[in-house]
Amino acid sequence: MKNGKMKNDRQRTFMLITIPVVVLFFFFNTFPLLRGVYYSFTNFKGYGSYDFVGLRNYIDLFGDARVGNSYLFTVKYAVVCTIIVNVISLLLALGLNSKIKGKSVLRGIYFIPNILGGLVVGYIFSFFFTYILPYVGQALGIEALSSSMLSSESTAWFAIVLVGAWQSIAMNTIIYISGLQTVPEDVYEAGSIDGATGWKKFKNLTFPLIIPFFSINMVLCMKNFLMVFDQIMALTKGGPSQSTESISYLIYQNGINGGQFGFQSANAVVFFVVIVTISVLQLRFTGKKEEQL
Amino acid sequence: MKTKMKHGEKVNWPITILLILGCLTVFFPLYMTIVIAFKQPSEMTNDIMGALALPKSWSFSNFAEAMRVTDFWNSLGNSLLLTVVTVVIAILLHGIASYAIGRSMAKSKAYNFIYLYIVSGMFVPFAILMMPLIKQTAQLGIANRFGVIVLYVVFYMPINLMLYTGYLKNIPIALEEAARVDGASTWKTYWSIIFPVMKPMHATVAVLTAMAVWNDVMTPLVIMSGTGKNTLPLAQLNFQTQFGTNYNLAFASYLLALLPILIFYLVCQKQIINGVVNGAVK
Amino acid sequence: MKKRTVAAVGVGTLTLAFAAVGLAGCGSNQDDGVVTIEMVQYKPEAVDVFEELEQKFNETHEDIQLVIDSPNDAMTILKTRFIREDYPDIVAIGGDINYSNFLDAGLFMDISDFDGLEDIKQAYLDMDKELEYVPMDGVYAVPYMANAAGVLYNRDMFEEHGWEIPTTWDEFISLCQEIQSEGVQPLYFGYRDVWTCLAPWNAMAVDLAPSDVCYQVNAGETTFAENYREVAEKQKQLLEYAQDDPFAYSYNDACTAFARGESAMYVIGSYAVPQIQSVNPEINIDSFVFPASNNPDENILNSGNDLQMSVMAACEHKEEAYEVMRFLLEDENVQFYVNDQSAVPCKEGDFELAPMLDSMKPYIEEGRLADYQDHHYPSEMSVDAMIQTYLLDDDENALDTFMERFDTEWVRYNRDVIRKVQEYMEQNPDKE
Repeated sequence: MKNGKMKNDRQRTFMLITIPVVVLFFFFNTFPLLRGVYYSFTNFKGYGSYDFVGLRNYIDLFGDARVGNSYLFTVKYAVVCTIIVNVISLLLALGLNSKIKGKSVLRGIYFIPNILGGLVVGYIFSFFFTYILPYVGQALGIEALSSSMLSSESTAWFAIVLVGAWQSIAMNTIIYISGLQTVPEDVYEAGSIDGATGWKKFKNLTFPLIIPFFSINMVLCMKNFLMVFDQIMALTKGGPSQSTESISYLIYQNGINGGQFGFQSANAVVFFVVIVTISVLQLRFTGKKEEQL
Repeated sequence: MKTKMKHGEKVNWPITILLILGCLTVFFPLYMTIVIAFKQPSEMTNDIMGALALPKSWSFSNFAEAMRVTDFWNSLGNSLLLTVVTVVIAILLHGIASYAIGRSMAKSKAYNFIYLYIVSGMFVPFAILMMPLIKQTAQLGIANRFGVIVLYVVFYMPINLMLYTGYLKNIPIALEEAARVDGASTWKTYWSIIFPVMKPMHATVAVLTAMAVWNDVMTPLVIMSGTGKNTLPLAQLNFQTQFGTNYNLAFASYLLALLPILIFYLVCQKQIINGVVNGAVK
Repeated sequence: MKKRTVAAVGVGTLTLAFAAVGLAGCGSNQDDGVVTIEMVQYKPEAVDVFEELEQKFNETHEDIQLVIDSPNDAMTILKTRFIREDYPDIVAIGGDINYSNFLDAGLFMDISDFDGLEDIKQAYLDMDKELEYVPMDGVYAVPYMANAAGVLYNRDMFEEHGWEIPTTWDEFISLCQEIQSEGVQPLYFGYRDVWTCLAPWNAMAVDLAPSDVCYQVNAGETTFAENYREVAEKQKQLLEYAQDDPFAYSYNDACTAFARGESAMYVIGSYAVPQIQSVNPEINIDSFVFPASNNPDENILNSGNDLQMSVMAACEHKEEAYEVMRFLLEDENVQFYVNDQSAVPCKEGDFELAPMLDSMKPYIEEGRLADYQDHHYPSEMSVDAMIQTYLLDDDENALDTFMERFDTEWVRYNRDVIRKVQEYMEQNPDKE
C-alpha cells in the first residue's frame, strides 16, 4: 500500500516537472519551427509580402546542384571531423585524467581553443595556411605543402577539418573527462589484480562504462560538424570554386543575408529531417551497445 | 580517499611529456594572438618573421582603446548577466527535468518519445527559427535580455538533457530507493540525493552552457537589437566593418573577453574532478 | 548548509536579473511637442561623423530631436526590425539589391516633393531608378554619398619609374608588362575573399556592358553571354599580372601587400583606402578609371550610391524627416562627411575631394559614371563565387561554361522578378 502511494507520488512529480518543460520547449522551438515550415511553401524574403508557391521550393531543392554539393561537402566534413575529434579527445581525456604533473594547468591550456573566437581563429589559421605552411613545405621540399591548402579544391576542405577539430576537441574532452569520473577506481583495481593493462584495460573495463558519453559525443559531433558555419566564414567563404559551401552556410548566407528565405527554409526542413534520422539511428545503435553490456 | 593515496604517488611521466608537447598546438596561436594584440596596425605585415616578431613596445593602449570602443564594463555586465542566469536556470531546470524524463524513459514509451522529441530539437538550424522568433518575442514584449535568456534555456535544453540523462544512467537506482523506503518524497529525494551526486555533470553543463552563451552573437543581435544593450561579442563586431578590420584592437578585446570564461572553466574543472568521491557512485 | 548557499545564490541572481530586465523595458515617450526622428545608417565606420552631425542638428533644432543609430551588422538589424514592424523614420543604406527588395516590399515613401532632390546629380538619381524591378512612379531615395572603384596605384612608385596612367585596355596591358619587366609586381588580388572577385568585374563591366543589362535580360531582350564575355575574358587575363596563386590571399592580405609597396596597383574601390592607410599611413595613393575598352570614350567611372536616404512609408513626421535630410545635405555637412570618409558627394557643387580621387575627378565632375553591376545581382546567386570558380577553371571551355551558367542561374534566382517585369511589359507595351 505504502509502496504504491510512493510510486504514484513519483509519477505525479515527474509529470508535473515534465509538462511545463515540454510546453516551454514547444512554444519556443517547435512552434517557430512550424512557422518556418509554413514559410518553406512561400517565396518569403524575410520581410514584406509573399506568395504561396506550393512545392516549388522543394522541387527546386532536389534539382539544385549547389545544394547537392553542399550536402556532399558537409557530410564528408562531418564524418572525418567526428572520427578525428573523438579519437583525439578520448586520448586526451584519458591522458588528462591519469596521474600527471600540472593537471589543472594542462586542462586549462587545452580548453583555450574553444574560446578564442572566430575572428582570431580565422586570422591566425589563414596566416598559417597562407604563409607559414607553404614556407615550411618549400623549405622541406614537400610538394603537397608548398602552396596554400586554402586555394586548392582538393585540400581546402581538409584545412577546415583541421581547424574545426582543433576548436572542438576541448568540448568533447570535457565530456569524456566527466564521463571518466563515473568509472570507479575499484574497477581499475580489480583490473590490475587480473593483470589487465593498457589497451585491454581500456577496451574491457573503461570503455564500456563510458559508452553513454561516447554516444553523447558522437551525436554532438555530428550535430556541430553537420552545422559547420563559423570555420567556413573564417577561412574560405565557401571557396575555392564553391567547394566548401556547407549546408548551414547556404541557409544562412542566402536565407538571411540574401532574399531566399522561403527556399532556404525548405532546405533547412529537409536538412533537419536528415540529421534527426541520422542521429536517432546513431542513438539506437549505441543504445543497443549499452544494453548488451 | 584511501585508494587515491595508494595510486596517487607515481607520476606518469611519458604521458605528462606528451601532453606538454601537445600544448604547442595551443601556444602557437595564442602567441600570435597576444603579439598582435600589442602591435599597432602599422606593424602588421605579410612576411613570416615580421608577423611573429615581438611588438615594438608593450603598451596597453590597444587594451584601453578596445575597452573604450566596446564600452567594456557595460557589455561585460550584460554578458555576465546572460551567462550566469542561463547557467543557473540550466542547472536547476534541466537537471530536474532530465531526472524526471531519464528515470521514466526505460518503462514509459511516452517519456521515451519526449526525450527524443526534445533532443531532436538541437538539430533545428537556428536560421529557420530566427525570423519567427523575432516576431514571437516582439509580440510577447520580451525582445530584450529576458527573452534572450528564455531562448537560451530552450536552445540548450536538448544537449543538457542528453548530458544529464547520460550521467544518470551510471547512477544506480538503489541510491534513491533507500531514501524512498525512508518515506522521502520524490522531490526531496532529488534535491537531497541525486542533485548532489550529479555535481560533476552540473559543472560540465555549466562550462558548456556558459561557453555557448558567452560566445553567442546571433541571438542577442537579432533579439536585443534596438534595446541599446550590448554583449561583449556584439560590441566586438565594432572592429569589423565590411571593408576593414582592426585586428589589433579586436585581438586585445578577445583576450579580455577570454579571461572570465577561462577562470570560470578552471573553477568548474575542479568540481568535475573532485565532485565524486570515487567509488561512491557504483 | 552548502546546498542552501547554492540555492540562495541562485535565487538572488535570478531576482537581480529580472529586476534589471524589468527596468530595461521602460521607454519614454516625449509628449512635449518635440518630434523624434530616428534614423538608422548602415556604415559603422562613419559613426563618428554621424554622432557629430546628430549633435549639431539637435543644437540648432528645438522642435525636432534627431537620433541616429549606426549599428553593427545594420542590414540584419534592419531586417529584424522590419519583421517586428518597428520602423525607424529614415534609413540610410546603400543603393544595392537590398534597396530594390525593400522598395519592392513597399517599405519606402514617395518623396518626389522633397526639394533637396533638385541638387542631386542626375546620374545618381538614375541609378536608383534602375534599381527598381519594374519602373515605378515617384522617387524613393535621396542619393547622399557615392564611392568610386577603379585601380588604386602607388603614386610614388609611378613617379619614380615614370609610368603613365593608361586610358585604353592596350595601354593598361602594356603598362602591366612594363611594370613586370622592371621587376615590380603590377597587380595584387585577394581572391580568397570571394567578394573581391567583383571589384575588377564591376570596374570593367561599366565600360563594356550597358548599365541596364540586368533589366534587359529580365525583359528577355538580351542574354548575359552576349554582354559579359569580354569582361570575363579580360578578368582572366589580369591573372597574368597578379601574384602567384591569388586565391590563397584574402582582401586583408592584399591591402597589406599594397600598403607595403609589394605591388604597384590594386584593382579595388576607394573603400579600401582606410584599411591600406592603417597599415601604412604615409602611402601616397591615387586611383584611375579602369580602362577596359580600347575606345577611351567608352571608359567610364564605376561609382555607385554608397549611402542614400529613404523615408519609411510608416513615418508619421514627413516634414520633420525632410528637415533632417535638408540639414544633412547642407554643403558644410556634406563636406564634413566627404573629408572624413573620402567619399564622393552625390550633390552638385564645388566640393573638395580626397587626394586619392585626383585622377577620377574629371569623370566625377562630368558625371561620366555608372553603377556597380553587382548592385543588381541577387546576393544568393553568389556571382562573386561564380567568378572565382571561373577564374580557377583551367578547362578550355571555361568561358562558355561560365556564361551559360550565368544565364541559367540568373533565370533560376530571379524567377519572380522576371515574371514581374514581363507582366509589366504586357500591361505597358509602349514603355521602354
